[in-house]
Amino acid sequence: MDELSPDEMLAMDFALGALPRAEHRAVEQRMRSNPTFRALVEGWQLKLSPLDYETAPMTPPETVWRQIAAEILPISPVMTVSSRSSLWNSLALWRGVALAGTAAAAIAVTQVGSPPAAPGAPPQMLVAALAGADGKPLLSAAYDPLRGAVVLTPATKRDDTGKSPELWVIEGDKPPRSLGVIDIRDANAHTISSKRLAGLQAGSTLAISIEPLGGSPTGQPTGPIVATGKLSPV
Amino acid sequence: MSAPSTGAAELSALLAMAADGDQSAFHDFYDRTSAKLFGIILRILIERGEAEDVLQEVYVTVWRKAAEFDASRASPVTWVATIARNRAIDRLRARGSRPSAPIDDAMEVRDDSPGADELMEAAADASRVQKALATLEPRHAEAIRSCYFEGLTYEALAVREGIPVGTLKSWVRRGLLRMRVELT
Repeated sequence: MDELSPDEMLAMDFALGALPRAEHRAVEQRMRSNPTFRALVEGWQLKLSPLDYETAPMTPPETVWRQIAAEILPISPVMTVSSRSSLWNSLALWRGVALAGTAAAAIAVTQVGSPPAAPGAPPQMLVAALAGADGKPLLSAAYDPLRGAVVLTPATKRDDTGKSPELWVIEGDKPPRSLGVIDIRDANAHTISSKRLAGLQAGSTLAISIEPLGGSPTGQPTGPIVATGKLSPV
Repeated sequence: MSAPSTGAAELSALLAMAADGDQSAFHDFYDRTSAKLFGIILRILIERGEAEDVLQEVYVTVWRKAAEFDASRASPVTWVATIARNRAIDRLRARGSRPSAPIDDAMEVRDDSPGADELMEAAADASRVQKALATLEPRHAEAIRSCYFEGLTYEALAVREGIPVGTLKSWVRRGLLRMRVELT
């Protein structure tokens, strides 16, 4: 052992993971400033690394990736779609889609879960015009508070055979949240659970994407956006 | 179900794409490597919540440092595994002591997907290291394993084994040198 220099011993101890905290930190510091020492440490790390194959792999819970995604993807959480996701990669783009007064197309929802209104006051109504990027209205809607349903009436005919239109809400910087698959072929009442409507407020963006039958397989929009609109109080 | 490839060339390519900001490539990289890293971290930290925190930190670091990865110095798996061990050890030292939860508890969700990490090349490396360890005196080999897998300091292991810390250090270092000769 006499042939070992103090640096070699330190490199070994560090690669093994046997140093107390202060020394461990000191070695990390030293690696940054001293390439020769760093090479010594990396040599030992490389030698020992096959030992890792003795450790059983463990699948981490899915929440871990979601947290990583939230940290590294400040703009878009859309990860699982690649080729078709470009439109969704800029929320700012479609948040900014201008909506000239398309009075014919409107979706109205009550603001559930908002700060309690004055006793006896009617729930605040919110409307959003949903139109395509060209400003062409896609559908009109009305909220029926007695039935707790949103009635959607298409303004134009769309043929989405084999696909499912899905309604989304984007609240601030949060990832798009699904309000469910909708049917926009004919006028119909569409029920959205109050839990899903909770927290909706003026300024949030509603959007409709065209998804595979049954809705997005990933929980995030994967298909083309056909309409967007911003919620505002009536 | 076929296991995702953990081939070095493919993982290097994914890292390079991640360095350019390709998020779906990074997700792919995560899917192929996270079970291995989680296993390593959990073995050191035992406590699941803490291990999940560290795993998250590790991948955020990898995302930010992806451009620094140098395929000529280490394989992508070795590179990220080294970051994971370091972070786990750092967390362990910050905590001061290991919880007494039996290792078996932590191991119950073992990922048995066939061949997840069983590339021939890696298996061959692992078996060479095992053979090298087998040439050592059993007590020395055991000390090396305890430090490496549990992240124990020499001091902590010496106390646990009831031997002077100087003796332990000399076992381990002599063992490592012997291993190096065997591996060359």
